[in-house]
Amino acid sequence: MSVKFSTIDSLQAAMTFHRERHTVLAGNIANLDTPGFKPLDLQRTTPAEGTQLAVTEDGHIATTAASSGVVTSFSDGGQLQGADGNAVELERELSKIDANRTRYATASELVSRRVALLRYAAGDGT
Amino acid sequence: MSNTIDFFSAMEVSASGLSAQRTRMNVAASNLANAQTTRGADGGPYKRRDVVLSAANAPSAEGTTFAGSVKTVEVQQISQDTAPPRLEYDPGHPDANAQGYVAYPNINPVEEMVDMITASRAYEAGITTMSTAVNMAERALGIGK
Repeated sequence: MSVKFSTIDSLQAAMTFHRERHTVLAGNIANLDTPGFKPLDLQRTTPAEGTQLAVTEDGHIATTAASSGVVTSFSDGGQLQGADGNAVELERELSKIDANRTRYATASELVSRRVALLRYAAGDGT
Repeated sequence: MSNTIDFFSAMEVSASGLSAQRTRMNVAASNLANAQTTRGADGGPYKRRDVVLSAANAPSAEGTTFAGSVKTVEVQQISQDTAPPRLEYDPGHPDANAQGYVAYPNINPVEEMVDMITASRAYEAGITTMSTAVNMAERALGIGK
């Protein structure tokens, strides 16, 4: 993609990640009473050194790690565990969901602003 | 299919949780209603029911790098409690045995009420999760407006 859209690209990757993470967190809530269930979560790893383009000159454009991160899941076992082996903590999961929603909203707001900026530029400043 | 999932997957996951909690609620209500039933389906006193839940992989997450970590919940079975019935002395009751004892279901109303409350709270949490997904989708639709 060209320079103008690189911000939107990485924001879009962030939005996709937060949407996927919400689905996994929703699964934790759905399994609030499933015996032996351990809560899961998603993480996005930034690509290893060397897979990004090097920035050696001032004019070079840094590639965004955000757009190429790999999404993996991990078991996020809560500290508490009920008699049935279920380790989902409702408050913890709900606060994660809320934080995740806020991050998603931030990313979408930034995309909106970026689009508005592009529209302003395309409209010759009117 | 694709290497990502959409908002409907999140809603599908939440919906599975809601329906599981509703089943728990129905079973608790059925146990409460039948706390005094001395003639169940098999002739003896009504047996307390219990919902057995299990986690299942959401089919919509197949093909993603995190397949297997998107979990829906399903009602695996509704089991019958094997606890012995509660015997009460009431010789005038038509279902009393030779010694004058009537076998009542082994149901503790307090236990059922607690079950109902936890099911209700879990249902509310599921609703919150689902409205969060809807809210996020609306956010995305608002881009560029």
